[in-house]
Amino acid sequence: MTAEPTAPERFIRGILPENPTYRQLLGLCPTLAVTNNMKSALTMAGAVLFVLFCANVMVSLIRNLLKPHLRIVAFTLVIAAFVTIVDRLLAAYMYTMSKNLGPYIPLIIVNCIIIGRCEICASKESVLKAASDAIGQSIGFGIGLSSIAFFREIIGTGMVFGTRVLPQIWPDWVIMILPPGAFFTFGLLLGSVNYMVNRKNTSIKNRDSMK
Amino acid sequence: MTYITDIFLIAISAALINNFVLYYFVGICPFIGVSRNVDIAFGMGFAVTFVMTIAGSISWAITTLVLVPGAPFTRFIAGFFLDPGQAVQIDLTTLSYIVYIFAIASSVQFVEMYIRKFFPSLYKSFGVFLPLITTNCAILFACLTIMSHVAGVENPADVWGLSKALALSFFGGVGFTIAIVIMAGIREELDFCDVPECLQGAAITLIVAGILAMAFMGFTGVDSGLRVALTGG
Amino acid sequence: MTDRLNKNFLVQGWLVILLCLVFGGSLTAVQLTLSPVIEANKKNEILQIIPGLISEENSTAINKEATLPFTVSPFYVNSEKQGRHLSYAVFEAKDKDGNISGWAARASGQGYADKIELLLGLNPEAEKITGLFILEQKETPGLGNKISEIKWRDQFKGKKTDKAISAIKGKAVNANEIDAITGATISSKSVCRIINQMVGDIRPPLKMKLEESVHEKK
Repeated sequence: MTAEPTAPERFIRGILPENPTYRQLLGLCPTLAVTNNMKSALTMAGAVLFVLFCANVMVSLIRNLLKPHLRIVAFTLVIAAFVTIVDRLLAAYMYTMSKNLGPYIPLIIVNCIIIGRCEICASKESVLKAASDAIGQSIGFGIGLSSIAFFREIIGTGMVFGTRVLPQIWPDWVIMILPPGAFFTFGLLLGSVNYMVNRKNTSIKNRDSMK
Repeated sequence: MTYITDIFLIAISAALINNFVLYYFVGICPFIGVSRNVDIAFGMGFAVTFVMTIAGSISWAITTLVLVPGAPFTRFIAGFFLDPGQAVQIDLTTLSYIVYIFAIASSVQFVEMYIRKFFPSLYKSFGVFLPLITTNCAILFACLTIMSHVAGVENPADVWGLSKALALSFFGGVGFTIAIVIMAGIREELDFCDVPECLQGAAITLIVAGILAMAFMGFTGVDSGLRVALTGG
Repeated sequence: MTDRLNKNFLVQGWLVILLCLVFGGSLTAVQLTLSPVIEANKKNEILQIIPGLISEENSTAINKEATLPFTVSPFYVNSEKQGRHLSYAVFEAKDKDGNISGWAARASGQGYADKIELLLGLNPEAEKITGLFILEQKETPGLGNKISEIKWRDQFKGKKTDKAISAIKGKAVNANEIDAITGATISSKSVCRIINQMVGDIRPPLKMKLEESVHEKK
C-alpha cells in the first residue's frame, strides 16, 4: 500500500476495486430488497448518494471538533437527519416511488456503507477527499444495485425500465422478481465477480513468476 | 376473541409467512456473517429477539405517547405554550427515524449493562453480539412497521395496541432465529461439499438462502386461510 | 476546577447538542415547506381515481381536468358486527348543481398474500356498481396481481348490489357472477368478499344520505 490515496484515487476506488456491493458486501438489505426493477434501484442509489455525500461532507467539516467517544453518536445523528430529509423529499416529489420503497428509505440509517465511510474516510480526510469518496462509493453502490435489478427485471418481466425488450414469447420467470430471485441473482453475480477477480489475480501472479 | 385471533395471525405472519430475513431482506448482514455455526447462530438469534422485543415496545410507547398528533405527553408539554386546539395538532412523526435509532442504541447499551451485571452466564452466551445489533436493520424495521400501524392510521379501531406491537417484535425475532439457525445447519453440512472456488463464502450462502426463501414462500396464504377459518370471513 | 469543567457532560457533548439544534431547525424548515405537498399527494392519489369510477365512461380514459366537475367530500360510515368495529371511508361526489352523482367507498380485507385495499364506485342509489379500483395489493405477481388489471376490474361494472357477487372458475353465467382469474381463485374471491361485505354495510346509510340531500334541496 502506498501513502494516503488522493481525491481522484478515492473516487475510482469506490467504483470497482472497493465496490461496496460486490467487494465489501456492505448494505445488503437494499441490494436485495429494492432490486426488482431498475427504477426503484436507481432511486435507492440516488437517495444513498445524497445521504452519503451530505454526511461525508458534514463529518469532514466537523472532524477536528469530534470527541472520539462521541463520534458514533454524532455520525448517527447526521445520517438520521439527512435520511429524514431525503425521505420527506421523495414523499413530496416522487410519491408513488416513495410508497414503493416504503421502509427501505429509513433503513438507509443503518446501512453499513454510510457509517463505514464516515468512520474510515470522512472523519480523517479533507472535505474534497471525503466528497469524492462519497460520490465514488455511491456510484459503485449504484452499479451494484442496477446490475442486479437489470437481470431481475429483464428475466422476471421481460422489461427494462418498464418497456418490454424481450419478445412476447418469453415466459416471464416470476420467481426472479419475488424474494428468492434476489438471492439467486446476487449469489450468482457475486460468484462471477469472484471468478473474474480470481482469474485476474492468478494471471498477474503467473506473469510475475515468469519474470 | 377477534383480538386474540389478530395477535395470533400477526405472530404467524411475522415468524413464518413474511419472515424478516427471507421475505423483507432485513438483517441480512448477520444472516450471512454469523451463520457458520449452529450454537453461535442461536446466540445471535436470541440476542436479536431480546433486543427487538424491547426496542419494539419502546418505540410503540414513544410513538403513541409523544410522536402522533394528540399524543398525551406532547399535548401536556405543548399545553403550557399553546391553546388546547393547537396542541392536539402537533405532529412529530417526522422525527421518528432519529428517535428510533437512538432508542435502539440506548436500549442495547442498557440491556448489555443489565445482563452483564445480573446474568453473567447469559452474557457469556450472547453478550458479544449485543453491540453488533445496534446497526441491525431488522430492529429498526420492526420499529418502523409498528409505527406504520400506529401513526397515520385513519380508522382508530385499526391502531395497534402494545400487545400487537409486542407480538410483531417478539415473533419477528423468532422468525429471524428460525432463519439463521436453519442457515447455520445447512452451512455446517456445506463444509463437506465441493463448492466451486468462486462461489465459496457469501455467494453460496446467498444461493442457499434463495432456496430457503422459496421454501418459505410455501407459507403464503396460510394466514388468510387461518383468518377465514377462525373468524368465518 | 478546569478539570471538573472538562468532565461536565455539557462541555463534552457540546458538538452533539449543537448538531441537534442545527438539524432540529433544518428538519422543521423541511417539514414546513414539504408537508403541504405531501398531504396534497396523499389526497390526490384517491381524488384522481374517483371521477373514472363514478362516471359512466370507460375507466381507461381518465382525464384529470375534464372529468373533475364533481366536488368530492369524504365521510365515514361505521358498522359494528360481532364485536368487530368496521369503518369505511366514503367519498361523496356532487355535480355542479349539488346533486349527488355517485359514491366511492374504500374498503380493505384479507387477500391471498396480504391485505387488499380497494375503492368501489356506486351510483347515487347505491344499487349498481359503477367501477372498481385496486388501491393496494401484494398478491402473487403474474397470477393474483391481475386483480389490478382493467380487463378484470371492468367485469364489476353494472353489477347490481342487491345480490352477493361471486367469482366463478371458468366462465361466469349468471348476472351476479364474474370470472375468477385462472390460478388465482382465492384472490378473486377475496375481492368479491370484501365488496359484498362493504356493500351490505354501507347501502342503508348511503340511501338515507341520498334522501336527506334530496330533501334538503327541496
